[in-house]
Amino acid sequence: MEPEKKADAPFNAKDLIKPKRFLGLHVDKQNIIKWFFGSNAGVTIVVLFLIMFFLAREGVGFLPTYQWELSVYRLAGLEFCDYVEKPISEQVAMHSKLKRALGAELNTVSKVDRDRRDAALLAKSRIEDKVTLQTEPLQEALKAKAPPEKTDPLRVALTQATTAAVSTATLPAIFTAEEQIQLKAELSALQPDQAELPPFLKSLMAKSAQKTSEAKLKYAALISTVDAFDDTAEKLTKVHSEIKKIALETKEAANQLHMAEDAKKQLLEAATTAKTEAEKQAFLKDAAATSLAAIDFKVRTQPLRDKLPELEKLIPEYITAIKKAAEGIPENAETPEARKLISQVRTQLPKHLSHVEQCTQLMRDWDYAKPVPITQSLTSFLFGGDWITNSSWQDFYGVVPLLTGSCLIALVAMLISMPFSVAAAIYTNQFASLREQDFIKPTIEFIQAIPSVVLGFIGISVLGDLIKSISLLPFLSWVPGFPVQERLNMFNAGLLLAFMAIPTMFSLAEDAINNVPRAFSEASEALGATKLQTVFKVIVPASVSGILAAMLLGLGRIIGETMVVLLVAGNRIAIPDFSDGIGTVFQPAHTLTGIIAQELGEVSRGSSHWQALFMVGILLFCISLIINFFARQVVKRFKFHKS
Amino acid sequence: MVTTYPIMMSTVAPKKAESGVATPPAAAPEVSEMASETSSPVSNAIITVKDMDFCYGAKQAMFNVNLNIATKKVTAFIGPSGCGKSTLLRCFNRINDRIPGAHISKGEVRIKGKNINEEDVDLAQLRRQVGMVFQRSNPFPKSIYENVAYGLRVHGESRKSVLDTAVERCLTHAALWSELKDRLNANAMGLSGGQQQRLCIARAIATEPDILLMDEPCSALDPIATSKIEELIFQLSNDYTVVIVTHSMQQARRVADDTAFFYLGKLIEFAPTMEIFSNPRQKQTEAYVRGQFS
Repeated sequence: MEPEKKADAPFNAKDLIKPKRFLGLHVDKQNIIKWFFGSNAGVTIVVLFLIMFFLAREGVGFLPTYQWELSVYRLAGLEFCDYVEKPISEQVAMHSKLKRALGAELNTVSKVDRDRRDAALLAKSRIEDKVTLQTEPLQEALKAKAPPEKTDPLRVALTQATTAAVSTATLPAIFTAEEQIQLKAELSALQPDQAELPPFLKSLMAKSAQKTSEAKLKYAALISTVDAFDDTAEKLTKVHSEIKKIALETKEAANQLHMAEDAKKQLLEAATTAKTEAEKQAFLKDAAATSLAAIDFKVRTQPLRDKLPELEKLIPEYITAIKKAAEGIPENAETPEARKLISQVRTQLPKHLSHVEQCTQLMRDWDYAKPVPITQSLTSFLFGGDWITNSSWQDFYGVVPLLTGSCLIALVAMLISMPFSVAAAIYTNQFASLREQDFIKPTIEFIQAIPSVVLGFIGISVLGDLIKSISLLPFLSWVPGFPVQERLNMFNAGLLLAFMAIPTMFSLAEDAINNVPRAFSEASEALGATKLQTVFKVIVPASVSGILAAMLLGLGRIIGETMVVLLVAGNRIAIPDFSDGIGTVFQPAHTLTGIIAQELGEVSRGSSHWQALFMVGILLFCISLIINFFARQVVKRFKFHKS
Repeated sequence: MVTTYPIMMSTVAPKKAESGVATPPAAAPEVSEMASETSSPVSNAIITVKDMDFCYGAKQAMFNVNLNIATKKVTAFIGPSGCGKSTLLRCFNRINDRIPGAHISKGEVRIKGKNINEEDVDLAQLRRQVGMVFQRSNPFPKSIYENVAYGLRVHGESRKSVLDTAVERCLTHAALWSELKDRLNANAMGLSGGQQQRLCIARAIATEPDILLMDEPCSALDPIATSKIEELIFQLSNDYTVVIVTHSMQQARRVADDTAFFYLGKLIEFAPTMEIFSNPRQKQTEAYVRGQFS
């Protein structure tokens, strides 16, 4: 009976309807929380896209701006001038190297005596500085032609002061003990109205002069070679500076015109939005007053083209002259420095000559009216070898010097940090006892807590000097690049960046190794493999994708790091001179990140320089994107089948 | 050799064991106070366990185990979870050394008459002669060929011809050759569970061990794969001494010549399989094989 009764009871669906829970709405609390979490993720992604959008917007404007600048560079004839400029600057660089070589050679003869003379003169001037208080009244008295009875006490006071000063002075060891006594005696007796220097000082001067002339005599051939080398480009330089002036004037006019155009446009815009009729009229009047006389570039560049025959004549002359001058460069030199410099000049010379020969053809083919395509502004940004800003001549935004700097520093950092972090991870995970693990892991991860600016400070104050003094050790002179010229260089920055990247790389690599199932190592050991065999034949191969991903993420961190490289890398914007081989890393460089940090604060908003820096930002963004993409691919490539 | 438990010990032992090793199931019968025969009388014993106590750190896991395992026979270890059968198995190739604190606190394990826990034992050689197959198939993430060749490689064999022969022999032995001969360079992770486990057996016999330890080799496999492995074990017993830990009494009955029953870290009974299942001497053994507790 009862079950039947139950079946008869009418359905009541009330309890199936959701109760009104939230503000009287039929909304589930669960859903609200879900939406909250979802919206957080969404906002993050939206912000990322906004950042990408604004970065792109600021950067893309660079292309037309730079295109315009490059076309003015061509129209005004600056390009024409630079065809000559390039060989001339090469010649100047080679000449300065020869001069340095000559200096090094001359020093072999004259340095000792010159140093002795300079040391004595330095001591003299120091003592004179100390006794100015006593010298001045005496000099005044002498000027006033005071009688000897008035000047004598002053002289006594001066001599006392000088003697006191001399007694505290220390003389360098290049003087023997006797010479020091003699020199001190002479210095004590110095008087301001003395006609001649005392004999010892005088002999030092004479000896130095004699040695200098001896040196000049000994190296007369080299001196004349260097002078001849200098003279070769004289005529060419003169013509070049003439045409340079003309071109610069044209460029200035073009810039003025551009500014005037902008101003007129703004005035007309203002006129359309002006509130009163009077204001509008005033704006229109001003706009009409702005003259927009077009520049006839053909006429303005004519003087440049007129110089072409002369240049065509001068260049072969220059080539014969420099070839002749180069013949005088000695095969060998006495000092290693001179040898190095001379061999550098020798290797540069054939390249230089080919550049000179090309330059005639380039000038003949030059056409001021040839349009500059917009792609050229991109290619000259990406592949341009010059980053020159605020120049009185022409600004170039070529990213190659910065990119090579960034890449070389990253390379150094990776080469150092990879073995350290991987080895540390393997040791910690596979060999260390639990107590060691508890010590090693937090300690290495603590490195991350050091602010990068502090590390940069250490790089400047400690590491730079350390590298320099180590490089001076005689038994390390075989290391390429030693002795180091610059305290702040790519190696220094790379070393610090490696240190900064190690915690990231170590932690991720350690995780990767830790993720290798214990069953693998157990199976390997059950087959009789030793611990080392197990690590290198099973565990590392099984975790290699994770380790690689860790390295790539470390690389991302290294590329993006700014503060350390800005402080430590030396900030020289130039493509490093790769002729040093591995020693190249001891040269200073600038980086993509560093240049943004350094220059963005100083440029005017919206200028081509500003836009160029945004382009550098986009480039950095792309590099990081690529690195992350590859890291993901590497991780995806291999995953354990966890059964 | 016959060892008798002192009566006192038998009653005390479960309480001791409770602390760490296993909690006796509610339905578990009391540990017999009768003397138990702990090793079957075999003259050709390859593994001899004598008065062995085993500890994980401070926790004692095995109590006074005495056992002789006959050569070229299949010996099964059965017993409820946590009874110490795997622990004992893992003593035979000292793989327990991997676990910090695990050690034999009393007694000894002899293989071919040599105490394997002595200082002068070459662990690599021991493990080469005592192969092991684990509960879960654990092939390396390498090719099938490299998996089988691994054991030989770590022992310094690098001649291709020797490796090739060994790989073929072992895969044939493990009844895998016909299935896999065309894809020896494929990653072993792509094989099915049963194939993976047979590959692990092939890998373990590549070093030509005398003894093969199997720690519940079929527990993660389906019935068909299980029957294939059992068939394989049966064949392997012609050449190897096989010691197998199993949860399945049917499996022990099917493959084992001798069976040892463990309970709470103690060897309760060790006898030919037929005897254990048809005519157990101990009450606990009887209760267990009848499925009264597990």
